[in-house]
Amino acid sequence: MTKVENGADLLLECRSITKSYSGHVVLDAVDFSVRRGEVHALVGENGAGKSTLIKIVTGATGRDSGEMVYDGTVVPMEHLRRDAEALGIAVIYQELSLIPGMTVAQNIFLGKEPLRPLTRLIDVRKMNDQARELIDRYNFPLKPTDLIDNISIAQRQLVEILKALSGKASIMIMDEPTSSLTKTEVEMLFKIIALLKSEGISVLYISHRMEEVYALSDRVTVLRDGKLVKVLDKEEISPEEIIRLMIGHKLEEKAVQHELTPKGGKVVLEVRGLTSVGKFEDLSFDLHEGEVLGIGGLVGSGRTELVRALYGADSFDAGTIRYLGKEWVPSVRKSIEGGIGFIPEERRLQGILATQSITRNIGIPNLDLIAPRGIVSVKEEDRRAARGIELLNVKPPRPEQLVGNLSGGNQQKVVLAKWLVRDLKLIFIDEPTVGIDIGAKEEIYDHIRALSARGVSVLLVSSDLPELTRLSDRVIVLRQGRFFQEFRECVLTGEKILRAASGIREGDDE
Amino acid sequence: MSHHAVRRLILVGLMLALSALITVINPVFLSSGNLLKLLQEAAQTGIVAVGFTFVMITAGIDMSIGGVVAVTSMVCINFLHYTKVPIPVLVFLSLFVGALTGLVNGFFITKYKLPEFIVTLATRSILAGLALVIAVKDSLGFVQNVYIQNDSYLWFGTSGLFGIYRTTVAFLILGVGAQIFLKHTRTGTNIYATGANPTAARLTGIDTDRTTIGVYMFSGICASLAAVFISSRMMTAMPELGLGSEMDVIASVVIGGTAFSGGVGDVWGTMLGSLFLALIKNGILKTGISPWIQPIAIGGIIVVTVIVDVWQKKLREHLEARAKLKRLSAERGRDAA
Amino acid sequence: MNKKPIATELRLAVVLVPLMAVLSVLSPRFLTLDNLTNVVWSVCLIGILSSGAIYPRITGGIDLSLGSTAALSGIVVDLFMNRMGIPWIPSILMTVVIGALVGLFNGFIVAKIKIPAFVVTMAAKTYLYGIALVVSQGAMLAILEPRPFILISTGRFLGLPNPIYIMVALAVTSQFVLRRTAFGRQVMAVGSNEVAARLSGVDPDRVRLISYTISGGTSAVGGVILASLTQQVFAAAASGIELDVMTALVIGGTSAVGGRGSVLGALIGAIMVAFIINGLNLMNIPAPFHPIVTGSVIILALLLNEGYLVPKRRTLSRA
Repeated sequence: MTKVENGADLLLECRSITKSYSGHVVLDAVDFSVRRGEVHALVGENGAGKSTLIKIVTGATGRDSGEMVYDGTVVPMEHLRRDAEALGIAVIYQELSLIPGMTVAQNIFLGKEPLRPLTRLIDVRKMNDQARELIDRYNFPLKPTDLIDNISIAQRQLVEILKALSGKASIMIMDEPTSSLTKTEVEMLFKIIALLKSEGISVLYISHRMEEVYALSDRVTVLRDGKLVKVLDKEEISPEEIIRLMIGHKLEEKAVQHELTPKGGKVVLEVRGLTSVGKFEDLSFDLHEGEVLGIGGLVGSGRTELVRALYGADSFDAGTIRYLGKEWVPSVRKSIEGGIGFIPEERRLQGILATQSITRNIGIPNLDLIAPRGIVSVKEEDRRAARGIELLNVKPPRPEQLVGNLSGGNQQKVVLAKWLVRDLKLIFIDEPTVGIDIGAKEEIYDHIRALSARGVSVLLVSSDLPELTRLSDRVIVLRQGRFFQEFRECVLTGEKILRAASGIREGDDE
Repeated sequence: MSHHAVRRLILVGLMLALSALITVINPVFLSSGNLLKLLQEAAQTGIVAVGFTFVMITAGIDMSIGGVVAVTSMVCINFLHYTKVPIPVLVFLSLFVGALTGLVNGFFITKYKLPEFIVTLATRSILAGLALVIAVKDSLGFVQNVYIQNDSYLWFGTSGLFGIYRTTVAFLILGVGAQIFLKHTRTGTNIYATGANPTAARLTGIDTDRTTIGVYMFSGICASLAAVFISSRMMTAMPELGLGSEMDVIASVVIGGTAFSGGVGDVWGTMLGSLFLALIKNGILKTGISPWIQPIAIGGIIVVTVIVDVWQKKLREHLEARAKLKRLSAERGRDAA
Repeated sequence: MNKKPIATELRLAVVLVPLMAVLSVLSPRFLTLDNLTNVVWSVCLIGILSSGAIYPRITGGIDLSLGSTAALSGIVVDLFMNRMGIPWIPSILMTVVIGALVGLFNGFIVAKIKIPAFVVTMAAKTYLYGIALVVSQGAMLAILEPRPFILISTGRFLGLPNPIYIMVALAVTSQFVLRRTAFGRQVMAVGSNEVAARLSGVDPDRVRLISYTISGGTSAVGGVILASLTQQVFAAAASGIELDVMTALVIGGTSAVGGRGSVLGALIGAIMVAFIINGLNLMNIPAPFHPIVTGSVIILALLLNEGYLVPKRRTLSRA
């Protein structure tokens, strides 16, 4: 599948990289290479192995096996971050690594500030001058003395780039760099990438955004399920082709597809013109009784923000909501009392009380039922916990077990259990099966289907395309905070969802 | 003008206004004798506060400073009373006490990730006990009030040129040196980085553990240094010396603009804060207000200052968010067009 | 029925027995009724304060104004009874309310204005001390009446000093609230994961407000007991007791980061600390060594709590 590369041409060459995390194979004998002075995109769905591959290249984590050669030097297995830096590998992190309270120049030269010869004090003027040199060379809209706190995210990204460049980087790795940028800022970034390229610096670009990948890349590497699918050359690159390869299936498997049959019936949730400035805009839809409405979209398209606003966890700026026919201004309390549940996006950070038992975790949103007059009925609490454990098949089925010590799948079961032991009418689910084993995944899917069959409405946000495809009765795709497309009464595939999420309208086939 | 500068200006203005007010009530305040003493008082707290500032910039807290002062002064008393060790050696030993304490504090905080507050409170306890243990006692076992007679040692507490106390001079030199170190060396930058965003600092290769241990050691050293000057001036020392002075130090640092959240502040602010605090205390004395007002004033000032800081920050963030949204919608408007 | 594994409290109690054995070997006077009664006073005071101070601690905060609030409460109750002629029962009630209001004030600044707890309560410790000075005019006041008030701490019931009953009552109530009420569940939730708690319908601000109020209230109770016991009040009373309370809480298993804690554990911790100090006294180890020992004990307890030094099997909850 991969063409054998001409050695001298290659800046980075990885052969047969394999990595497992606790028995789970994340990268399976992946070959990967980046040429000098090329813009190379790395694409794949969540869980395809992109981040792990990058971590291995940058030394943030170690590979289990495989060879790596950078700029002619063989990279040993114990490859650390500072080794990578010394080699010339630079990363622009998503959570930028800048220090607030310091200037642009200070951040660029953090840790390697120019010193005055005699006193070993920082030569501030020299630092500012050198910073200005770098800034002018790339024509960035920055001043060396600007405070990081006062400049925009796009500008901060530029500072990160300069920081990398000041360290004589030969490859710049960017992980989803455009997720918080406006269109103008994105264009600016593209110019910069072109500039870097002209200087012979390679750019490794990870992104979900097909139009960007298409516009920028010289070559594209597509990963799927930890394996290398294909490396596309310039002429072969098109958003549709990339999506097809990303989703694609092994020849023996059938593609995941689902015949959508939307449910009619009572409208449980009616959303009109919902807007939260900077997050999502003018969203309107209905949710019917017992319906599973899937919300698709790329990272940053506003899906999580939408469900949080609907649940009452965040406020919103405009629009109306009607729940069970009545006007509804959501708050977490009201939602819970009104029969609405919520499974948050980040299980560990937002979903579980790690230092508390299963019983406590299940009990906490149910205090109105367990302790109606303030005093906890231990019997009632235990009963619900037992019911939850049994219903969800939590393993090990010990109620005093600390939730933090459970496996991911079982933790999520507990998160779900706390709602299932109530009378639910509606539940918001955000990324239900991230980092969960197959067995638990299927169990959770069964529960979602059971909920739907019981007449509970489900609003499902997911980046897992097969999951979204299989479970939904209807799918709405958001793009950049706005409604983009609805899928109903058709045969839905993950590919269709991803195309819509990437801005490709049905019927645009090139 | 940056908000730091505005804050300093307000502080200076307040000090001038207060001075004027106090002088009206009691003109003795403005006498050179009183002012020199005031500066000396500011210096005594200020020397400790300089070290404490470093710790706070890393978002830490060192409650053991009082204990360090106590133990150091007892160490000095012992050496002066029982030995003829040369004074420079004695001073060095004193600073060593503080450094050692800081090392122990820093170790538990970085290696075992124990909460700074409780750890330093615990070491304070231990040091307070140690001070009592090593205190010079008479035949009946009661703590003796040893009068220092060593002229070289007493030199530290005396006044020099223009009647300015040597303590004050030491404070100024220390302050200037510390400020330069903080703002103009790599290690100083590392200190700010460790406090402002430790993850980013580590990503850049800064050893945050080493930096943390370093600032705790510096804090200890400053406390020890202060102990030398204080005991020298008082010409004696009791084992409780310094215990209870923590609030004064914290007040000085907080008034000066250093925040508990770390990443901000500098020595100039602390020096101004120390001066302000000394002014308040001296003023309370000179105007005949009940001395009991002092703890109320200090505690109250700390709370008010911290609240004002938080509100100020929130206001700034709010205005920034609004500006950002305006920019965002303007751009989106242009994009759509 | 909540099937509990070996609870921390049980484990601690088990440590207590050998500790007592060791101490009585080192000093035969240890196990006498006389001596043990002496230990009782400090245990009671620390125990009473711990019953309330545990709440802010579990939520991840801390209350350092315990001692000052207690001292001020003693002065205030004396003011009510002996200078304003109010009968002792209403005086005590009003004093406790004042203590609670002080706590509420602290809690407000911590919860709503979001200032770190140790700053707020440390500053409170200072200005409350000043207020106590002003109210008491810097003097040490003797409380010789009313008799019933004095009997609160000095009297006995069924052979045991009254304060024991008061402490036990408070501790048991507090433990009950923590373990068996919705509020207690919410406190633990906020300490464990505030974000998750919020998404489950808990109001962390309200929980914190109430927590500090409780702490202020129990501090006031402690101050009243102390006043009755020593028959004197002064501004610096109970100064430094915060460290002892902190030690008791840490030994008792209250986590440094919040989300775990036990009042009964704190009681046992208080007993341990008191025993150790008492033991040191009996062995004629001079007073200065006591804080050295307590300081080291705290660090040791912290290390053990966080799982260092001795590997902990912490898979089952103590709830």
